[in-house]
Amino acid sequence: MSTPATQTVAVRTRGIDMFFGEGETKVTALKQADFEANRGELIMLVGPSGCGKTTLLSVIAGTLTPQTGTVEVFGQRLDGLSQEELTTFRRKHLGFVFQSFNLIPTLTVLENVMVPLLIQGAAQDVAVAKARAMLEKVGLKGREDGRPNALSGGQQQRVAIARALVHEPSLLICDEPTSALDKDTGAQIMQMVRDLSRSPDRCVVVVTHDHRIFRFADRIAEMEDGRIRRVVEDASLLDTNHL
Amino acid sequence: MYRLALNMLFGDRAKLAMLLCGLAFSALLMAQQTSVFFGIMSWTYTPVHNIRAPIWVSDPMVEQANDAKPMRDTDLYRVRSVDGVAWAAPLHTSFLQARMQDGNFKLITMVGIDADTFAGAPAVLSQGRIEDLRLPNTVIVDEWGAQLMGRVTKGPDGKEVVIPLKVGDTFEVNDLEARIVGICKVRRAFTGGPFVYTTYDRTKLYTLGARRTLSFMLVEPQPGIDPAQLCARIEADTGLKAWTSETVIWSWSDLSLARNTFWWFWKNTGIPFSFGTAVALGLFVGIAVSGQTFYSFVLENLKYFAAIKAMGAGMGVIARMLLVQAFTAGLLGFGLGVGMAQAIGRAMIEKGMPPFVMFPQIFWATLALVLGISLVSAIIGIIKVSRVDAATVFRG
Repeated sequence: MSTPATQTVAVRTRGIDMFFGEGETKVTALKQADFEANRGELIMLVGPSGCGKTTLLSVIAGTLTPQTGTVEVFGQRLDGLSQEELTTFRRKHLGFVFQSFNLIPTLTVLENVMVPLLIQGAAQDVAVAKARAMLEKVGLKGREDGRPNALSGGQQQRVAIARALVHEPSLLICDEPTSALDKDTGAQIMQMVRDLSRSPDRCVVVVTHDHRIFRFADRIAEMEDGRIRRVVEDASLLDTNHL
Repeated sequence: MYRLALNMLFGDRAKLAMLLCGLAFSALLMAQQTSVFFGIMSWTYTPVHNIRAPIWVSDPMVEQANDAKPMRDTDLYRVRSVDGVAWAAPLHTSFLQARMQDGNFKLITMVGIDADTFAGAPAVLSQGRIEDLRLPNTVIVDEWGAQLMGRVTKGPDGKEVVIPLKVGDTFEVNDLEARIVGICKVRRAFTGGPFVYTTYDRTKLYTLGARRTLSFMLVEPQPGIDPAQLCARIEADTGLKAWTSETVIWSWSDLSLARNTFWWFWKNTGIPFSFGTAVALGLFVGIAVSGQTFYSFVLENLKYFAAIKAMGAGMGVIARMLLVQAFTAGLLGFGLGVGMAQAIGRAMIEKGMPPFVMFPQIFWATLALVLGISLVSAIIGIIKVSRVDAATVFRG
């Protein structure tokens, strides 16, 4: 964060190459992928299946290490960090919303939301208070002691969002957050994500196939064959038949 | 995180029940079989337990307490003359057939004790008086023997009823009358026959005038004399074998007759192998069932562990969560299993057999083995979770 340019950029990747396997089984997932997301921005990664969206998301999240290229998240270079350092980085700065919610069914709603805080080493009472407050913020007050399976899909995704934001991460990673939801519920969830992301200290990257939610994006990065093909601000410029 | 780990474990009650069943069954099998094994093995040195004397002297070729090689009566005088011996009394033990009133024969262990001192006499009599053994043709029978040798008759409901022997009843040994003047409480013997006590001199009659009837000598050291030192002196002066009577089989003392008897049976019978197989089976079943169930528990939670990893939990935290889960299940399974073993054991003790002795060592060893099973299960789970890429959470 030494220059004005980097002060606005939240996520930047340059020249990312990522491949899996070797020899005849080698599959190239990313080819010189360059990507940028700004602070206070909600950016969507779209593209056909197999174009490398999830791989790029994993690289940005520090769960995959690319073979070449640089990754920078809120001024921190991730390439070159050890697994332990990446784990610590994710713990402090990242929040995740998964396609299938990944809420632990044997824990209560409140306990699920407490997980990131407890991973950070927060005291039990502090974690309980913060988790309760976050659940209230996403409109789930009174559902703290229930099990996730007793909630609707939309409510479960709200719990997942509460869990993703409870430790106030800088970068929120959302992987197909509305794929299991109907149109109206999906719109509500995206509105909530958008509202919660409106902060200069936060950035939201959403991978999606769901063109119904494109309108919530500040920008949309279209991927094709492992690289960013173009970045648009107006979703109507995209040919959604190919996505 | 550990509280959450426990909530994850207790949240899936069906899986937890399966896990606890495996661990409890394993603990039950290991604790119960080992306790019965040591119970049966404790019967091997019953003579030393029942016949209390600080020192036992035997023929030098004797290896254990049930292995009597008769000595000459003059050996008794040689032992009495050893410096440091307060007194020495003769003891006879032999297996004989008793002929009951109904013509049936029963195997008995006849014990002949010194009529003057009653050294080696049973400590507790439930009927009769020990002094009555000085009367002609008299014996004292143990409680189990009184039941075993009792008269079988039909009750009012037509079912067979055993009327135990009592003071005044008689039977025959080698055509000589044996009249019961007492019923005693003693521990049962591994060799099976009930104990029938009489005087040492009378055993010569019951054994049809056997040339040698001196099986053992019971020795009391003079005050201040160490039994182990006196044993060494007796062996040096007489060439006989002298033993101490301590019944702690875990001791390292080579002089202990009980310990030598225990290990003689250990080495020369298939009992340890038989029970060892059951214990090993318990261990393997425990590892298989618990390992499999815990592994399945981990597999079902794998995507959640992957999510927790993605959220920034290191493998150290996840490993500790799995260890907490496995050890908690292990402790609960151990409690249930050992509790059941104790309950079965108490029921056994009330019925009299099979014998059940749960040494503290058995308790702790079972706990260690069950926790070992838990550790193995946890390690299998940890290996599985460690191989899961956190990036898998983005693949649906």
